Amino acid sequence: MDGLHVAVVDIRETKLDIAAALDFVYDPRFGGIASFIGRVREHNLGRIVTGITYDLFEPLALNTFRAIGEKARDEVGEPLKLYIAHAKGDLGIGDPAVIVAAGTPHRDEAFRACRLAIEAVKHEAPIWKQEHYIDGDSAWSEGCSLCEEQRESELQRQGETGHGHAH
Amino acid sequence: MKTRIALYGALRDADPSGHVDLDVPAGCDIAGLRQLLIRHLRQHAPGIGAGLVERSAFASAEEILHDARSVPEGVELAVLPPVSGG
Repeated sequence: MDGLHVAVVDIRETKLDIAAALDFVYDPRFGGIASFIGRVREHNLGRIVTGITYDLFEPLALNTFRAIGEKARDEVGEPLKLYIAHAKGDLGIGDPAVIVAAGTPHRDEAFRACRLAIEAVKHEAPIWKQEHYIDGDSAWSEGCSLCEEQRESELQRQGETGHGHAH
Repeated sequence: MKTRIALYGALRDADPSGHVDLDVPAGCDIAGLRQLLIRHLRQHAPGIGAGLVERSAFASAEEILHDARSVPEGVELAVLPPVSGG
């Protein structure tokens, strides 16, 4: 898809570039630019976090990002420019972990495309977060199953209990 | 046939090499592969619960492979625990 930039950024080599994302989605036809930046925060579920390690299955993550781009285009239509980049490796507090930016003629499509993309990155892309805590302990975050059969039963359970996604 | 399965996220703790090699009978589907992996981990990585593998997906570099799919021959697969990007 034209107008789509996807990347996995190994932060040993370089950092995520917010300015590059905004430049990519700029277009003289566009009056609306929406962006989302996910940064590492210093606490989770009552524990003090000192950093996060992101693990990715890179080829499938990039395929998933491209599929998300197609889905966003189907949802909001043309013209759309979309930028999706996720960090890989060891991040400190405040480091950007994910950047999504969307450019469209008007704000409504930009917000919708950006929201759709970040939610899909969080719930569908093969990415795992390991949190490191101040006491020296580490733990992989609970997440969303990509296994179709499990997803169906989890969605059913959420429907019964009213539980949504907290992450 | 031998099938190599790359490990990600919490499943990396199952083997420091980052993968496991399983003997997979011809015609085996992904549901069968899941049971083979559960059996393998019970023996070689008892700290990994069967529940984690049950919630995990199997994939090639191109796509998720659902339970009814046959295990492709000569292709390295990956086992993907529940995801938590962003």
